[in-house]
Amino acid sequence: MTDRRGFLAGLLATGVAPRAGWAEAGQPVVLAAGMRPDGVYVLCGLGRDGGLRFTVPLPARGHAAAAHPERAEAVAFARRPGRFALILDCVSGAERARLQAPAGRHFYGHGAFSGDGRILVTTENDYEGARGVLGFWDVTRGYRRMGEVGSGGVGPHEIRLMPDGQSLVVANGGIETHLETGRAKLNLGEMRPNLSYVDLDGMMLEQVALAPDLHQNSIRHLAVARDGTVAFAMQWQGDIYDSPPLVGMHQRGSAARLIGTEADGADMQGYGGSVAVLADGAQVAVTSPKGGVARVYGASGRLEARVALADVCGVAALRHGSEGFWLTTGDGLVTDMGASWQMRHPMRWDNHLVAL
Amino acid sequence: MRRFCIGLFVLFAVPVWAGTPDIKGIVEGHILPRYQAFAEASQALDQAAQADCAPQSDTLRAAYGAAFDAWMGVSHLRFGPSEQGDRAFALVFWPDSRGKTPKALAGLMQRQDPVVAEAATFRTVSIAARGFFALDYLLFDPQFVEAPQAAYRCQLIQAVARDIAGTADAIWQDWDAGYGDRMSHPGNETYRTETEAARQIFTALITGLEFTSDARLGRPLGSFDRPRPRRAEAWRSGRSLRNVVLSLEATRDLADRLSGGDAAMLAGFDRALAQAARLEDPVFAGVVDPQERLRIEALKQRIDDLRAQLALELGPQLGLEAGFNSLDGD
Repeated sequence: MTDRRGFLAGLLATGVAPRAGWAEAGQPVVLAAGMRPDGVYVLCGLGRDGGLRFTVPLPARGHAAAAHPERAEAVAFARRPGRFALILDCVSGAERARLQAPAGRHFYGHGAFSGDGRILVTTENDYEGARGVLGFWDVTRGYRRMGEVGSGGVGPHEIRLMPDGQSLVVANGGIETHLETGRAKLNLGEMRPNLSYVDLDGMMLEQVALAPDLHQNSIRHLAVARDGTVAFAMQWQGDIYDSPPLVGMHQRGSAARLIGTEADGADMQGYGGSVAVLADGAQVAVTSPKGGVARVYGASGRLEARVALADVCGVAALRHGSEGFWLTTGDGLVTDMGASWQMRHPMRWDNHLVAL
Repeated sequence: MRRFCIGLFVLFAVPVWAGTPDIKGIVEGHILPRYQAFAEASQALDQAAQADCAPQSDTLRAAYGAAFDAWMGVSHLRFGPSEQGDRAFALVFWPDSRGKTPKALAGLMQRQDPVVAEAATFRTVSIAARGFFALDYLLFDPQFVEAPQAAYRCQLIQAVARDIAGTADAIWQDWDAGYGDRMSHPGNETYRTETEAARQIFTALITGLEFTSDARLGRPLGSFDRPRPRRAEAWRSGRSLRNVVLSLEATRDLADRLSGGDAAMLAGFDRALAQAARLEDPVFAGVVDPQERLRIEALKQRIDDLRAQLALELGPQLGLEAGFNSLDGD
């Protein structure tokens, strides 16, 4: 006999229990981590007007977040090389679960849900084995770890769901680090960054690398257009005054191509901090907090806008609507690329802006 | 976590609004006159090249030197009009450790590329073939000075000089026609607040010193085991040390205005300038000599100290905090 309590418990266990959706969290359109003036780290949801919809405290500095496709549930990742990630209820602010990196692993600060929201995939470092790992977590079983597969390279950073909802693209940055040496880069001479595509069973579907002379261009951040075109932003680890272009595009089955000119890398101080692409793929935006600049390219690679903005890093293309790109900065600004509106919060917005 | 929080509280406790910098005074007293002087010197360079395009021409070389001097007066002001359409990169494509500039120039010479005929078409050539470093090769490097294609070289020199003048004028026009106003009177789409304008100027000051240390001195220094004298800036025209001095003088003037004449800070600049004056090594050839090298390293260290002092003292005085994201690096 199944009583009501047991029935509900069963539903909870399978993850299909009716839980609050994003509407109940105030209909936020983006998530961003930040630090309040009192030094408390938080994860926030921002509404269409740029205003705060919710604020949930974090135990340490965040980096990026991953949003569950339906439930008002977000994963806040600790900043690299953190070993925890929090599953947060964005309505109540409660901590639903806490992911602990398994022994010998730490998180890289990014993760992505499967299209049906049943699996979460995180980028991790197997720091003794000096290889990247993708951790698979069963959302329907309270985020239990299901297993892991190699990420296809070293130093995986951002991971994104592909439009089919069944596969993921991961940026293997190529840089080896170790938990004990923090962010020290251990292999700059031998970096081999790549883009790797995996399915939800962990099968490697495709890998693409850059030309050998660009092996120090660490592929770090990703954005995916509706047709599956992947935009990627890079961080140049070679001579900073020699930086090649830092933005690239890739479609499965073809070669990756870099866009922009020789001057772009220097303008961005060799550092692409975050990337976004419009749903229709018509424009790609990349930010550089080091250069204090955001650049927008057309699909052909032509520079269409350049916005100078101190400490800009977060960038997102809203999932619905056609407002173009949103930007956030380390001194509290939320604005759109054309500066047609802006809102300043008493908040230092962290690296990434995640569209819901 | 606890240790982290303490550090952050200190960070937030620092800003004391000791003084608002006189942005308008900086724009009108430092930026505008310097960009105007640069536009005029570039115009004179263009005229000199059209009058006499021989690489050995004293008047042409003098005009080149004067225009480059004027550029050093603004080379730290890399924001706004200078960054539109990669204008500054079209003026100074350096460092260039892959040798793109000589390759691009040699390509044009070899093809006798007619792209030099019109200013508009010349703007479409590789950015590496434009600007002061293109002229540094064309006027001073034997590969080009002694090249047999004298007629084409002449056209190329004239095209580069005309292009420099055009770019310098475009930057100056933009400053004069609105950008200077927007910076002087924040509350517009370019500068939303006074703090943003102050931050931009402060960043330019720090970045200018950083470039002098890392690139102008750091690149020829290389490492002790592998000094790289041929990586000195504009060594062909013998300008490496001169550029360091001129840029220090320009950033000193900016620091003076931004800090309200902070004596300790200016003394730091003066010590660096005195050290540079004592080097008597125009192209940093001494990086290969252990004794001489020490003196160049000491100058670099002096500039690094100066930069740290500005970041730690002047930044907070202006209410500017270090970048949350730019320092994170992930």
